[in-house]
Amino acid sequence: MNTFLAALFSGTSRGAIFALVALGLVIVWRGAGIVNFAQMGQAMFSTYIASTLITNGNSYWVGFFVALFAGAAMGALLDILVMRPLSNKKKTELLSSDSMRAAVPVIASLGILGALQALAGILWAAEERGFPAPAKQEGFTFGSNVMPFTAFDLFVISLVALTLVITTLFFKKTGIGLAMRATALNQEVAKLSGIRTNRTRTLSWAISGAASSLAGLLITPTSNLSPNTLDLVLIVGFTAAVVGGLDSPAGAVLGGFILGMVISFVTFYDTPEDVFLSILAVLLLVLLIRPRGILGSKDVRRV
Amino acid sequence: MLKIENLVTKFGSVVALDGVSMTAHESKITTVIGANGAGKSTLLRTISGLEHPAQGAITWQGESIVGRRPEDIVRLGIAHVPEGHAVISELSVEENISMGSLFRRRKFKSDIAKAMDEMYQLFPRLQERRKQLAGTLSGGERQMLAISRALVSRPQLLLLDEPSLGLAPLVVEQIIDSVNTLCRTTGLTVLLVEQNANTALGVADHGVLLALGKVVADRPAAELKADENLRAAYLGY
Amino acid sequence: MSNLKAHSIARKSLIRTFLFTVVMLILGSRFDAYNQAQLALVLILFIGVLSVTILTGISGQLSLGQGALMAVGGYSTALMMINYKLSLWIAIPLSIISAGIAGLLLGVAAARLSGPYLAGTTLVIALAIPTLANRFMSVFKGDEGLPVDVGYPPAWFSNTFGEPSYEKWQIYVALPFAAIALFFASNILLSRSGRMWRAIRDNELAASLNGVNYSRQKIYVFIVSATFAGLSGALYGLRGLVGPSVYPVSLSLTLLTAAVLGGIRSISGAFIGTVIVVYLPDWIEKALGNFSLSEQVSNFLPALISSLLLILVVVINPAGVAGTRLHKHK
Repeated sequence: MNTFLAALFSGTSRGAIFALVALGLVIVWRGAGIVNFAQMGQAMFSTYIASTLITNGNSYWVGFFVALFAGAAMGALLDILVMRPLSNKKKTELLSSDSMRAAVPVIASLGILGALQALAGILWAAEERGFPAPAKQEGFTFGSNVMPFTAFDLFVISLVALTLVITTLFFKKTGIGLAMRATALNQEVAKLSGIRTNRTRTLSWAISGAASSLAGLLITPTSNLSPNTLDLVLIVGFTAAVVGGLDSPAGAVLGGFILGMVISFVTFYDTPEDVFLSILAVLLLVLLIRPRGILGSKDVRRV
Repeated sequence: MLKIENLVTKFGSVVALDGVSMTAHESKITTVIGANGAGKSTLLRTISGLEHPAQGAITWQGESIVGRRPEDIVRLGIAHVPEGHAVISELSVEENISMGSLFRRRKFKSDIAKAMDEMYQLFPRLQERRKQLAGTLSGGERQMLAISRALVSRPQLLLLDEPSLGLAPLVVEQIIDSVNTLCRTTGLTVLLVEQNANTALGVADHGVLLALGKVVADRPAAELKADENLRAAYLGY
Repeated sequence: MSNLKAHSIARKSLIRTFLFTVVMLILGSRFDAYNQAQLALVLILFIGVLSVTILTGISGQLSLGQGALMAVGGYSTALMMINYKLSLWIAIPLSIISAGIAGLLLGVAAARLSGPYLAGTTLVIALAIPTLANRFMSVFKGDEGLPVDVGYPPAWFSNTFGEPSYEKWQIYVALPFAAIALFFASNILLSRSGRMWRAIRDNELAASLNGVNYSRQKIYVFIVSATFAGLSGALYGLRGLVGPSVYPVSLSLTLLTAAVLGGIRSISGAFIGTVIVVYLPDWIEKALGNFSLSEQVSNFLPALISSLLLILVVVINPAGVAGTRLHKHK
């Protein structure tokens, strides 16, 4: 029973973070039609910035907010410097086919991932370092029992919940949010309505960058920080996004929690070594049964 | 006044517009008719900036608009309703309309609610369905929504691409009537592309007949409507 | 180009292969031991990069799982050599078959996917497959891996040509396989299947209207590409060890980088890209010889530069170094 509760709690708090990662991927996919494989590289880099600030005597919150800002700035720069020039090049021969148009931005994002990881290695060395948590990482005590649930878990879950509420309100209630949704759904009609689609697209990259940086800040206290630590998080986030539906923000959240539970239960009841195989199994299962994901729309984009 | 001179638009090696020259006069309805593939839609798409012409000039109120982006051309008062009831199905009716006024929020904040109310007066059925997703509307309602989305930006020129496509005659009449009334009462300039020549010529002041990317006739609508030879040769009835 | 008959395609490929072999043999005999080992590595990775060229450049499918297919080739070879004492000349061809079967499985899954879905799924596969080494400890020996190498040349070889150094023997083992791979790749590119696969890349709908059964063709491409990757992986493992750390995800990315840098559509591009990727650390070291860099910097500098090059090539000219020439052909 205790194992079950522990798995459930750990699945919830991990799932919250994966939901954030998946949400970041979904926002850029909807906004720009690109799966950004560099996303957690950006998160790693901004977490390093936070880590450097904090070890140099600044408060956790200074590091926290600077990292969020850095994540957003990196996302926007990446779009302006790499992805936008690439999408303006559609007329070249190599990019004249659908399949290459889909492949080339992925290759570019992998290049960015490689560059960020190498740069982090140069700046901060490759060995792992810890990253502080703003709340206690010991379980709550209930009478004489130590519960498998920590103050930090509570912090993670409430912060993610807050983020989800804010993003939902932003997308549903503001004009910029409407412009971003319109751009994602139908660029031509958006342009004809006077929406500056280039700008809204850059904004999706920035929001996604901030969301994934938040994920980085929340996951590194339990997993340590190195140039490659967040690769696995990206894989899980990608799987979560596909499970929920790449074009559905709500699906991303759902997928994140499903993956969190799967990983947590495999870790507690089986062995951590099976985690990857179980992720692969979940991914293949979803792709075979419901290729557009649980909440994905029917034919917005071809799988 | 919209003036088009010697406009050429190509898709790869296919020439869609082959030296088109024409004019849409202020506060008049000008219709462009012609068979499928004559280049009618391409003409509107080139004006609104969705396609880039290979050569030629487009002048709007004395200013060249060639090479500008669609989102900037809208700001000059040219609104385009593309072919096929172009609305965003995943957004609500209200969101679709207000999307068209987003770019006016800073300068004309007080006017936005008023403009939206006018749209609901023009097409009361849309008001009833404000909260519904656009995807759940009927074809006619979607066309009304697409037109409202364009009109809410208070354009001086409306580019309307085949509003009759796939709609029942009664609905077509209702939509065309609304546009006609709007033109006569507010002084809106309309450039109407239609395959359904009879309906279009019935309401228009001026008619332009397009065939294979070239202008074949450019005359007052009534005259064009009466010319049986042209009708038989280019429109097939 | 499209009207070449089968025998003239074969002749053209044969000439290419012959010239390639001669040049490599000459280079191999001129180089010092270090560069001989580097050349062997170029030959081995060239085969792997060809697998990317065929899959992504020719058929437009982006897979990040080539490293996993290389691992299949490597483990098969190592297991056969260790458990059944087979010679590498028998073990490698057999492991090509096992890689082909893995490619078939991957292709069946991939036929339904495209674009980022395919890239992401194959990336998960690339991460998941090496963990099997720890799951089935008794067979794959976990993180420790299976030590194998090219061994020594047979007696008749040493008697006829003299005793080659270990590095030279690495070249002699890799070269025949690289030559065969080049011959087949060249044939594929010039032949009917190559044209069909390009048609899939350029337009799935049009290809299927022209009677190309594209999901079956997609699976074929995967099988062919997997045999190249498996061969490359087998030889790669024979450099000393077959283990999860030998076939990391970054290996798949290295292959992709090489293919893109050189020009993802051509065989010469694949070779140029491989040379760049293998020699980049040496060139950087030489260029910065006068500056004393910390180990931290020099360890990561090649990766940084090759990643930046990758981004630049993609943004400036997605056709790569050898790609511009190809444009004129069309």
